Amino acid sequence: MTPVLTVEGVTAGYGRVTVLHDISLEAGRFGNVGLFGPNGHGKTTLLRAISGLLKPKSGSIRFDGQDIAGLSARAIVGTGLIHVPQGNRLFPDLSIADCMALGAYSARARPHEAENREKVIKLFPKLAQRWRQRVRTLSGGERQMVSIGTALMSHPRLLILDEPTLGLAPKIKDELCASVMDISRGGVPLIVVEQDIEFLLELTQQLYLVNHGAVATEIKPGESLDHGEIMSMYFGH
Amino acid sequence: MSALAEILFGGLFQGSLYAMMAVGLALVWTTIGVFNFSHGVFMMLGAYIAWQLVEIGLPAAVAFPVAVVVMAGVGWILQASVVRPLIGRPNIVLVVVITTLAAGSLIENGALTIWGPRSKQIPALIDGNTTIGGVGVSLHQIAIIVITPLILAALWVFLNRTRLGLALRAVAQNEDASHLVGLNVTALYGLAFAIAASLAGLAGIFMGGYRFMSPVMGSDPLLKALIVVVFGGISSISGPIFAAYLIGFFEAACSYYFGLYWTPALLFGVLILTLMVRPEGIFASRSRGLA
Amino acid sequence: MTDMTSPIAPIRTQTANPVAPGRTPWKAEAVGFVLGFALLALLPLVFGDTYARHILIMAFIYAIVASNWDLSLGYGGVFNFGHLALFGIGVYAYSLLTKLSGLDPWIALFASGIIATLAAIVVTIPILRLKGIYIILVTFGFAQLVMQVILSQSDITGGTQGIVRIPGLYWFDHNMVRDGKFAYFYIALALLVASTLFLRVFVRSRTGASIVALRDNEEYAISRGVSIVRQRMLTLAASAFFTGIAGAFYAAYQRNASIDVFGMSLATIILSMVLLGGTSTIYGAIVASFVLTIFAEWMADFGAWRPMITAVLIIGVMLAYPSGLAGMIKAAWGAVAGRIKRPA
Repeated sequence: MTPVLTVEGVTAGYGRVTVLHDISLEAGRFGNVGLFGPNGHGKTTLLRAISGLLKPKSGSIRFDGQDIAGLSARAIVGTGLIHVPQGNRLFPDLSIADCMALGAYSARARPHEAENREKVIKLFPKLAQRWRQRVRTLSGGERQMVSIGTALMSHPRLLILDEPTLGLAPKIKDELCASVMDISRGGVPLIVVEQDIEFLLELTQQLYLVNHGAVATEIKPGESLDHGEIMSMYFGH
Repeated sequence: MSALAEILFGGLFQGSLYAMMAVGLALVWTTIGVFNFSHGVFMMLGAYIAWQLVEIGLPAAVAFPVAVVVMAGVGWILQASVVRPLIGRPNIVLVVVITTLAAGSLIENGALTIWGPRSKQIPALIDGNTTIGGVGVSLHQIAIIVITPLILAALWVFLNRTRLGLALRAVAQNEDASHLVGLNVTALYGLAFAIAASLAGLAGIFMGGYRFMSPVMGSDPLLKALIVVVFGGISSISGPIFAAYLIGFFEAACSYYFGLYWTPALLFGVLILTLMVRPEGIFASRSRGLA
Repeated sequence: MTDMTSPIAPIRTQTANPVAPGRTPWKAEAVGFVLGFALLALLPLVFGDTYARHILIMAFIYAIVASNWDLSLGYGGVFNFGHLALFGIGVYAYSLLTKLSGLDPWIALFASGIIATLAAIVVTIPILRLKGIYIILVTFGFAQLVMQVILSQSDITGGTQGIVRIPGLYWFDHNMVRDGKFAYFYIALALLVASTLFLRVFVRSRTGASIVALRDNEEYAISRGVSIVRQRMLTLAASAFFTGIAGAFYAAYQRNASIDVFGMSLATIILSMVLLGGTSTIYGAIVASFVLTIFAEWMADFGAWRPMITAVLIIGVMLAYPSGLAGMIKAAWGAVAGRIKRPA
């Protein structure tokens, strides 16, 4: 399989501070990709650069053969690369229905709105019960469902999740993991950033350890490691 | 009876004008997070453009809508020239205050150069007077009292019942997330400014129909709108609307019972007291959002 | 934007507050201070005509108002848009004290500073817990309401007519009127020196440091025992004293008081002085006041175009250099320095 997304030599940061140093990785060749590593080492920045929230200073990002580095976030959403940002705050004062309508805002997603809405409701039946409720009144797990549901409404061809389980209780994490697995089985490849290694091992086939704004280690399928080994890599021993 | 009618009428009338102005300020603040100090100048410019169009022979029914549309364009251009380039900069709130103040000064002095300092007046929406509850009122003022709530209701429907309105409300809440669902955030910022400028321009046309116009006619209403917004809270659209009418009634009642002399002092006292109890305004919610 | 996402926020705060890592040693600053003001003191010898001195006096007044605003706006990070109201309160306090109560002008001058300080403390109360835009709105509302009250109480304030024939200052038997504005020039300069000295000592003190700490990282500063209520009140009160005195001096010098001092145009000009000078320097605001005042004079021939040209220039500088003229000079210096270094 050819990779869906290729990041090559990307350098990016905020103002004079460079966060990503010539980072390269690819996704989609072996299934879902997981990114892990200590906080503040560039995982979120990398996702922001991929989805166009941040213009890379140099390097190329190719999605399905098209160079998307430097495109606007809106244009990138138009290609079907959908990024669910960290923190499930999204649109606190909009209702779930509003969020779903927003998810289908792009011209590419609009024709599939009804069909995607069915999918979201099937995946997260809880949301249907609270359809008109404001996002801020929902529980943390439900808000994460809204975030992911909104992304599904955008008709993704590649879905990027930034720490979807942050702050969730273990039971809810498991439910969410199952739902995300469903999405993946439905044919949408994933890139997941996560602190919870178990969650990553379950969902993804290929792992990258991001450290100091670069890929420190790549773990391909077949080189499967156990939790202990990954933890020791994590802490740099 | 006539006391009540006078207060009611005065309050509705002033409240309508305040609401038209304050809503635009709040719309820009909630969506972009900046404060537009050229809002009063928009009001003046709307009135002058309408005057100019009437002067070249257009009927008011054509001139007024055209002026409002032109103002939307002015709002858009102003946003693109003195606000958009600053987005993402540190201190944007402060820097935009000075750039919009300067842009306002530019437009105000431009109007002075083009149209001169002599007072002008534009035709009333409806000519004539009538008596309601023993109080003589002009039909122009009645028209304003009726039209304003309709326009505010239309704005509400636009924000709450259309996809574009939904997009505006979304941008107001979370800019990054708006980018990530594919919204054209820059265009929405322009749209917010355009709507605000049109509303201000319309308020100017209302005002030019019953009072003489001058290039500085917008500064006083801007200040009143500011007070309204402080009072009602700026992080929503409904707060300032309620506050506008509340202050309208308060002023009408004060000037009826205590005279114009004491009204500003009383308003001042009420404002300070309100802010001590509820510093974010009486109708304010803690978050930014258009509702 | 108020909605800053976590990865950017800490970095933005750093770039937003360009406090030089190596502070100027106080001795070097003292030398520069004395030299700079000595130079200003010699100006009347160069500019013999009364009009040039008048322009300089106005520049000194603006410089006091702008540099004191820089204390609350730049150092304190408190967006006090009622600063010009403090100046206006000084104007009216002096006028009423001298004219109605017949107080000695010098005592009235000092009392006006005190009254402005008290007014600043009153404004601080509603904004103690507010942030950003709310502070702008409340302080702006305060300024406008002060104006409304002065306008409406026309029995004592003269309303839109203002107050005329206000007693001026005196200096023993010196004739203040027919000296080519010599005395007023030196009084204005003395006030500017006193104000600048006060501001610089204040911002270099421990209190000044804690105010900056509060601005840069409120939570941390509070956790280290800095009181936001006390510091904010202190900042605003400190920025009000010389502003009020400047207002009083302005009234004494002009011999009349009008509601114009509360107007938008004066506020715009003074605010541009603060921002063009670059915030958190004090000196920047003073230099920008001189530059803008003289520039405005120099453009007098343009008549009605003058305010428009000024507005366009302000916008241009703010768009290109958000840190003001200081940033522009720094950038220019960087370019020059770069060119000098390159051949080596």
